[in-house]
Amino acid sequence: MKSSLVFILCVLIGLALVACQPADQVDLVVTDIWGRSSPASAENAAFYMNIRNTGRVQDSLDSAEIDICDSTQLHETNIDDDGVMSMEHIMKINIPSGETVSLEPGGFHLMCLGLKSPLEAGEEIPIKLSFAETGELQVQAEIREG
Amino acid sequence: MTSTISKPDQERTHPKDKFKLYGLALGGLLAGLLLGWLTISLLSGTLVFGSPSFHGTVIGSPAPMSDFTLTGHDGQQVRLHDFRDKVVLLYFGYTYCPDVCPATIAELSKAMKELNSKDREKVQVLMVTVDPDRDSPEVLGQYLSHFDPSFLGLTGTDEEIAAAAKPFGIYYQKKDGTVETGYLVDHTATVATVDKDGYLRLIYSFSTPGEDIAADLKRLAKD
Repeated sequence: MKSSLVFILCVLIGLALVACQPADQVDLVVTDIWGRSSPASAENAAFYMNIRNTGRVQDSLDSAEIDICDSTQLHETNIDDDGVMSMEHIMKINIPSGETVSLEPGGFHLMCLGLKSPLEAGEEIPIKLSFAETGELQVQAEIREG
Repeated sequence: MTSTISKPDQERTHPKDKFKLYGLALGGLLAGLLLGWLTISLLSGTLVFGSPSFHGTVIGSPAPMSDFTLTGHDGQQVRLHDFRDKVVLLYFGYTYCPDVCPATIAELSKAMKELNSKDREKVQVLMVTVDPDRDSPEVLGQYLSHFDPSFLGLTGTDEEIAAAAKPFGIYYQKKDGTVETGYLVDHTATVATVDKDGYLRLIYSFSTPGEDIAADLKRLAKD
């Protein structure tokens, strides 16, 4: 009898511990952040990355800032069945709980407008990402050979 | 009077027959294995009879492609028929496009690096701008030389570009962007391959790896 009481108590304590974790916990892991080295004449550039949400609540990437660009927008490229590509300015990129969202060529990307100087292979470019839940994250993009 | 009751040979369980039986079973098993392997290999494409297939979508125009006249980034007049005896990779894009166009040109540049110098001489990459207002010959030249100095940028009047795009089924359309981007151009993001005799042979969809394109070019360069 006594031992079963102890058992029930332990179960309750365990439940309480789990419940005490913040309900809105978001955990974002940003990897593989890169851009392509750019021609001297290029006025803009794209940046890519993988964003993994290991938390329990959906987050969204709302904006990004890159110092070497006059402005940075979130864009999505779509390619239809006839191979026609179309690029759209989007307001946010949702990062659902437990999923990895890839920003990659031919899909989501950070569109850097008004590139102030060409991107050189090997260079590291700081990017400030702003998420609805997580807030700001400072990351470094690696510039790869075009 | 003599052995009238003897059984015919084949009905006897002779030791020789036993071997025959085992042989048959083993043969059957091997035949089954071979048949299964062939089926799987053919279905999965790891085994191909005859010449290996191309990586691009095989098109095969009924006649050589009609000619076009445009202006090269060096200011010279350029016609498609100037490149008879070369394999031409033809792409329609614009330098203001930051995502799909550099990704495609970078794969073409990778494909060229995979070729030996003899094959490379047999290949010409042409990029026709679908944004002649922003892509001056100088801008095109600077842009392409970043990827490969042999790539040739082409521009022209709206009519000349439209005439060049039409036979290849290339669609392009200006559309409004944001204040910051200015206008954007939707366009077909495929690469057309014209063989040495001027026939359209292959179409590469977006994100075809440079290595795959190089494998096809090695064959077309020798044709």
